[in-house]
Amino acid sequence: MRKLVALTVGLVMIPASAMASDLEELLERGHEASYSAEQIITCSNPDGIADAVLRLSQSGGDLHVAAPVSSDVEITTGYGGWVLSQAGSVVSSTELDSSEDPADPRYTVDDGTPAAFLGRRATQFEMRDGDTLRARLIFDNETGALLKALTFVGDGEVYCERRFIAFNPTPPTIEMVEVDNDNRLWRSDVETELPEDLAWFSRLDVYSDEDGFAFGYYSDGFFSFAIFETPSVVALDEASQFQIDHGVYRVSYSPGQVIYVWETLSGGLAMIGDLPPDMHEAVLTGLPAPERRGWLGNVWKSLFG
Amino acid sequence: MSHPSVLISAYLDGELNRDEVGRLLDHLAACGQCAAELEATQHVRTAVRSLPMMELPGGVVSEADPVVVPLLRNRGFLVGAAAATAAVVIAVAALLTPAPTSVTVSDLNSRFGARVSLDPAFGPAKVVVPEIVQVGG
Repeated sequence: MRKLVALTVGLVMIPASAMASDLEELLERGHEASYSAEQIITCSNPDGIADAVLRLSQSGGDLHVAAPVSSDVEITTGYGGWVLSQAGSVVSSTELDSSEDPADPRYTVDDGTPAAFLGRRATQFEMRDGDTLRARLIFDNETGALLKALTFVGDGEVYCERRFIAFNPTPPTIEMVEVDNDNRLWRSDVETELPEDLAWFSRLDVYSDEDGFAFGYYSDGFFSFAIFETPSVVALDEASQFQIDHGVYRVSYSPGQVIYVWETLSGGLAMIGDLPPDMHEAVLTGLPAPERRGWLGNVWKSLFG
Repeated sequence: MSHPSVLISAYLDGELNRDEVGRLLDHLAACGQCAAELEATQHVRTAVRSLPMMELPGGVVSEADPVVVPLLRNRGFLVGAAAATAAVVIAVAALLTPAPTSVTVSDLNSRFGARVSLDPAFGPAKVVVPEIVQVGG
C-alpha cells in the first residue's frame, strides 16, 4: 500500500511578494498557494462549447478536485500522483517517479497591471509569444493563487476561460488517499520513436510501464501535451474527424483538453493536451501519419511482432 | 515359319498365347539364328533395365507419355490443398490471436494528469477534467 498523497496542511500563509514578471516564478508561486475555490471552465472548441464546474482545494502543491454536479467523483493529484475515485472507491490511479527539468518558457509576460477579482486585490499579466497574446492570467496578490486564466488562439479569440467563482484563502485539509498502486510508471530510457521536438515543443521525458505502454511529455513552458504509443487505437466515444493533409484523425474535446487518436502501422498513437486548436496541426504533422494496418497486418503483427 | 523377330519380342513381353509360344519354341529349337536373336534381345533388355532411373527435367512431363499426365493433375490438387491449409492456419491464428491490450481514455487521462502535476504550470490552469465530471459539451 502506498500513500500517494499524504498531506499535512501548512498553517503558514505564503506572504505576498512584489510583482513578478517572470512566468516561471508566477506559476511556481501559484503552484504553492493554499486555498479552496470553485472554478468554472468554459472552452470554445471547433465542435462547440465544453464546460465544467469544479471544487478545488490546493495546498502544498497538491490539488484536490471535485465536481459539484457529480459529487461522488474526486481527483487527488500532485507531485506525479493522480487518483480518480468515485463514491469512495479508486477508479484509476497513476504514480510517476520524477521528471526532467522544465522546458524553457517560450513566452514572456509583462510587468502586470493592478486588478480586482472576487473582491480581492490581484494582478493581471499578459503572456505573449512575440506579438501574439496567448494567455491573460490574474493572480491573487495575497496568496499567489491563479484566480483566472484566459488562453487564446492565434487570431486573438478566447480558447478557454478558467475562473474562480468562489475563493477561500484558508489553507484546506486534503484527505490522504491510499491506493494499492500497481500503476507506477518509471521515467524510461527505452528507445522510442517519439521525436525529441515537435514543432516548438520539447520532449521533457518518456515513461513506460511493464506492458510497454509508453508516452512522452512535451511542453513549451506553458502549454503541454503527451503523446502515447498504444498497442491499438484508443476507443474514443463521440469523436469527430479532423482532416489535414497528413491524414484523418479522430478527435474529442473536453473542457480545457483535447484528445486525438489514430492508427499507425505499429499500433496506435494518441495525443492529449491543453493546446489551443491552432497549435494542433503543427504537432500532428511531426508524428507518423494515420495509416490503417488492415486485418492481415494485425494477424502478422500478432504472430511475428 | 520364316524368322519371326516380331514374335520373339512379343514372347519376351509375355504377349503370346500358349499356341503361339509352342510354335515359336519349336522354331527356336530348329533355328540357330532366331535362338541367337532371342538371347541377344534378352541381354539388351536386361542391360537397359539395370540402368539407374533419372528424373525428367521440368517441362518434359507435359510432352511425355499420357499415362504421366495424371501426375500433373495430382500436383495441382496438392498445391490447392497446401493453399487451403495455409488459409485455414491463418484463419485459426486470427481467431486465436489475443486482442491487443486495450487502452482507454481513462488511462490517458490518468497518466497525463499525473505528469501534468509535475509541471511548473500545474494548478487551476492545467486541471485535467475527466469525462465523468463534465457538465456540457
